[in-house]
Amino acid sequence: MDAANAMNAAQEDRPWGALSDLPGHPMMWVLILTEVVTFGLLFMTFAVTKAIHPGLFAAGQAQLDPVLGGLNTLVLITSGWLAALAVEARTIGKRGTARLLLGSAMALGLVFIAIKIAEYAAKAQAGIDLETDTFFTLYFLLTGFHLLHVVLGIIILAAVALSDSIVNLKTGTAFWHMVDLVWVVMYPLIYLIG
Amino acid sequence: MRQTNARRITRAWGLLVLLTLLSLGAGHSGWTGLTANTLILAAAFAKGRWMMMDFLKLRDASAGWQVLFLCWLALVTIIPWATATLPLLLG
Repeated sequence: MDAANAMNAAQEDRPWGALSDLPGHPMMWVLILTEVVTFGLLFMTFAVTKAIHPGLFAAGQAQLDPVLGGLNTLVLITSGWLAALAVEARTIGKRGTARLLLGSAMALGLVFIAIKIAEYAAKAQAGIDLETDTFFTLYFLLTGFHLLHVVLGIIILAAVALSDSIVNLKTGTAFWHMVDLVWVVMYPLIYLIG
Repeated sequence: MRQTNARRITRAWGLLVLLTLLSLGAGHSGWTGLTANTLILAAAFAKGRWMMMDFLKLRDASAGWQVLFLCWLALVTIIPWATATLPLLLG
């Protein structure tokens, strides 16, 4: 009887099981797990296709600008840093500081989008699009899918800046860090390794 | 405690910036091949690990979650390394 009561109490403490151990709302972690698996499969697809067509991928990669990609990496990791500091500020009750940090994180997210659009525009000017070849199909698919997540991440950060409970901040910033994490792997995969 | 967390987050950010600049330098200089691929993807793994531990706060999560996410990170860095390296080794 005592064991049954203890089990019930444990279930009430951790209604989402193992997901209850993670910061923020567990449903966000269900989404994050889904996203990392999806991006993982896309990365594998890119890597395997590159092994099949090494010449095509080397030629495609040579037309990318690693400096713009690197600049965007710096922008996104700095945005992630500010978002992480926002949670720390909110936890000690500095709501204004937390909102300012979140606003700065969102602004850098917009900078990321602007740089990515400039990069796409340069490709369009060079006559490169989704159908140019397999490399650019995957390039636009991976970076475009990630870009949609950046847009969604900014919207989520704006929502949690308005409704700024600690759990909301942890939930919103967790999604933003996932977007950041995915880019940190995507950048070397697409732009750097030969 | 909070101050320590903020300091840890800022230290992680500094290391992320440093590793990004090194990777960018390698890519911009046109340095390619087995050594370049290995160092660039090792840097990506290290960056991803710092992000998971200090930004995503997996440092406070159970060992199971840490292992799961680190396995994902290892998979998405080792497989591109292997597929890029095999053609180099096979000539």
